[in-house]
Amino acid sequence: MSTLQLKMGLTDRVAKYSRYLLLLPGFVLLLLFLLIPLSMIVGISFFERFTVTGPENLTLKNYVAFFTSPQTPVILLNTFGMSLLACLIAFLLGYPMAYFLVFRVKSARVRFFVVSLLLVPFLIDWSVRVVAWLPILGESGIINYALMSWGVIKEPLELLFGRSALLIIWPQTYLLWMIFPSYLALTRIDPDIINAAKVLKAPPHRVFFDITFKLSLPGVVMGFIFVFVSALGDYVTPALWAGGIQTLGLSVANYAANFVWPYAAALSTILVAIALLILYVLLKVVDIKKLVY
Amino acid sequence: MGKALETKELVKWYGKEVLALNKVTFDIDAGDFFVIVGPSGCGKSTLLKIIAGILDYDSGKLYINGVDMKGVPSYKRDVSMMLEMYALFPHMNVFDNVAFGLRMLGKDKSEIEKEVKEALRLVGLAGLEKRMPLELSGGQRQRVALARALVINPSVLLLDEPLSHVDYRLQRKLMEDLKEIHRKVGNTFILTTHVQEHALSLADTVMVMNTGVIEQIGKPEEVYTTPATVFAARFVGEINLFSAQIKSWDGGLCYLTTDIGELKANPKNKNTLPSSGKVAYAIRPEYVKIGEEARLCDNKTEAKLVSYYYFGHYMEYVFEAIGNTKIKVSVPTEKVGNLTLGSTYLLGWSAKDVLLIERPCMIEGLNIEEVIYGK
Repeated sequence: MSTLQLKMGLTDRVAKYSRYLLLLPGFVLLLLFLLIPLSMIVGISFFERFTVTGPENLTLKNYVAFFTSPQTPVILLNTFGMSLLACLIAFLLGYPMAYFLVFRVKSARVRFFVVSLLLVPFLIDWSVRVVAWLPILGESGIINYALMSWGVIKEPLELLFGRSALLIIWPQTYLLWMIFPSYLALTRIDPDIINAAKVLKAPPHRVFFDITFKLSLPGVVMGFIFVFVSALGDYVTPALWAGGIQTLGLSVANYAANFVWPYAAALSTILVAIALLILYVLLKVVDIKKLVY
Repeated sequence: MGKALETKELVKWYGKEVLALNKVTFDIDAGDFFVIVGPSGCGKSTLLKIIAGILDYDSGKLYINGVDMKGVPSYKRDVSMMLEMYALFPHMNVFDNVAFGLRMLGKDKSEIEKEVKEALRLVGLAGLEKRMPLELSGGQRQRVALARALVINPSVLLLDEPLSHVDYRLQRKLMEDLKEIHRKVGNTFILTTHVQEHALSLADTVMVMNTGVIEQIGKPEEVYTTPATVFAARFVGEINLFSAQIKSWDGGLCYLTTDIGELKANPKNKNTLPSSGKVAYAIRPEYVKIGEEARLCDNKTEAKLVSYYYFGHYMEYVFEAIGNTKIKVSVPTEKVGNLTLGSTYLLGWSAKDVLLIERPCMIEGLNIEEVIYGK
């Protein structure tokens, strides 16, 4: 009897823990390529120098230097302000599209076709897409050319080489990251829940704000996170098209390119910390737990 | 008494293929408990959704309290509806679910609190205000949905299959509650069900539907005792149906040829019947006698007992007569004798208990035999 018990116990335990094996490959990958490098970066940020022989002199100097620099407020505002604005624009453009696809396009085939169209830009190489903005937004690009030849404007608009470039390029590039989760969240809403709101005397705008939008919020938040994180991590677009405005990502790239590892590491740490803080606040405000039913 | 609802030749197509409502015309008295019964796909849900305004109709007229509803959006109709799968708002607790309609009507906070409390008490859910829908049992969800629809006090309350997705005990409880609530609030209730027992026991008025058409409207006992069509007879209550040919009339008595031989009928609707031709010969199982009692009846046939079903308060026997024709007989449990499976017994029934039905159903072009024996 005791042998039987032992055997049962063993199989039970195997059954209980074996499902965690599913997590193992992903966990190893994250550990090797995210958690360890990230810890190294955080570690390096607390040293004065990082040379071939290793880190030297434990210090908080890097952080002090950043937070006392007169440029810092501008850099933070550029970095997080522009990313959040890009999120907002992507939302204002993408959410109505997702809503339209779910509630106004009856045919599944048309829906699939439109979603496929949204994927087309991703078939083009990233570097080509980045450079292609010049003939579109440039001084003699398509947009300025069209607006001037229609007589809407006399002087070409400065669409590139300024903050406006980021607010055009980022939302366009990451629009799909906003549309897709919103679209999925909207398709998950039972049409009868919307019908229930209608028969319970909700006028159209209340049906939308109290029911449809609220129930799609988990998707919208996901979209925000995707676009926000993508924009934060992109230093190429600011470097190429934003006319030298400084962002944290760009600073990291500059300092790292000049082998000032500890300062670059400190900036990276600050970037990640603030990003996490913003995401935490976002999730708190939306109270996503209540919505993921 | 005024009319709560009137429809005139309502037509609804789904695409180009499916005709969900085919010129449906009926009206409902204010304060009535009106039950629409029919098999799934008969259009009863479609009809409710059209009345509620969440579905548009293609042609015809719909009046609620005498007002034409064409183009009137749902939120401006004096109607509320409990949807089939309850459709509670998953992101709101019980209180907010029930309060939703009142908030939309712009009632003030103290009033909302009072009315929600009262509605939850009425459906027996007092104290569960803070629960989320996911934390409720099926029966509780159903009650929240009912309270939510009731609380805005519409002149017409629509209930789409409210009894379908809960167990028998809850069904019974909810039936009793619905009847009582209806008595208390006095609004017009329109309920759909595919279960004929619910229709018979709940309704003031029953409407039997069959793929987009109305088969019959009447009081439950009217529909049960004098079904207008074979379909209505088959759908409401158990019934034995034989295809029959009228041979002759003698005074009030009709002589017919059927699959199980020559039979007599003395139906109540004799004035409306033809002097010859095909009809359905129908006798409810509770009117068929077995053995000694059958000897005195004016219709008799021998039949073999092939199976039986025990329902607690009555027993249903299934006999097989000539030509494999099945005859069901129901006997109150206290009167059940000792019958053996496989033995042959004499069955009999009185000609005055027989129904003769001329019309197979309200859908055109169907053969009476098809409807009698099922398609």
